[in-house]
Amino acid sequence: MIKIYVTSIPVEDQEKALDFYTRILGFIKKKEIPLGEHKWLTVVSPAEQSGVELLLEPMAFEPAKVYYKALKDAGIPCTSFEVDDIDDEYQRLVDLGVEFSVTPREAGTVKIAVLDDTCGNYVQLMQEL
Amino acid sequence: MSETSPSFYEAELERTYHELPFRQEQFVQLRQSKVFMEKHYRSKLVIDDLADKAAMSRFHFIRVFKSMYGISPMTYLRDLRVTKAKHLLQKGFSVTDVCLNVGYESLPSFSSAFKKCAGYTPREYRSNQHSNLE
Repeated sequence: MIKIYVTSIPVEDQEKALDFYTRILGFIKKKEIPLGEHKWLTVVSPAEQSGVELLLEPMAFEPAKVYYKALKDAGIPCTSFEVDDIDDEYQRLVDLGVEFSVTPREAGTVKIAVLDDTCGNYVQLMQEL
Repeated sequence: MSETSPSFYEAELERTYHELPFRQEQFVQLRQSKVFMEKHYRSKLVIDDLADKAAMSRFHFIRVFKSMYGISPMTYLRDLRVTKAKHLLQKGFSVTDVCLNVGYESLPSFSSAFKKCAGYTPREYRSNQHSNLE
């Protein structure tokens, strides 16, 4: 059986991203392995600590910077995370100072919201309805 | 939330939402069947019970559910039961207890469903959890 073990999100600053993705969003740091000027830095969901890892990947490739800036300028999230209750999570994050480009709204079988991760990306939160 | 014009993404969300091939009440009907599954997954459920909750005929319900969620209602129910079973196995309950607790009447059918979803039998999953505590 093939499985997804890691997926990545490009970040402008790995230390800043680690702080945001752990202290604010609530992920747990799993791996931090020095690799030249950067690190292999992953976080996991507290609910699935043996599950898929999210790699906070340094945005070091110039053409990639252009692509991700274009996504951000268009308001397009570069990834999506599931939450149990999106209204509660939205309020918790707003209280922590997180900025949202899309406040919670229904979209068919899901309810979504989009936040700024302060590391160069919009990230979508999703609750299946 | 800015009061400037919507981004490309927001405009696309709005457009595609209004082009979805379902009526708003159909979303609500299907959610009612999902809530019913969440409440009653421990009991024996048949497709007619779920279709009734959605106030749809059996065949219409199956077709709409699959179109909306990408899987059939019974597959959704199986996945829900296996997720619940994983939590119970992590807590140390026996495979037999878990089987009965999540709505299966026989161990072979529970093991088969669990393996399809998790890639392991319930017994293997339980052993792995206890030899790899986080």
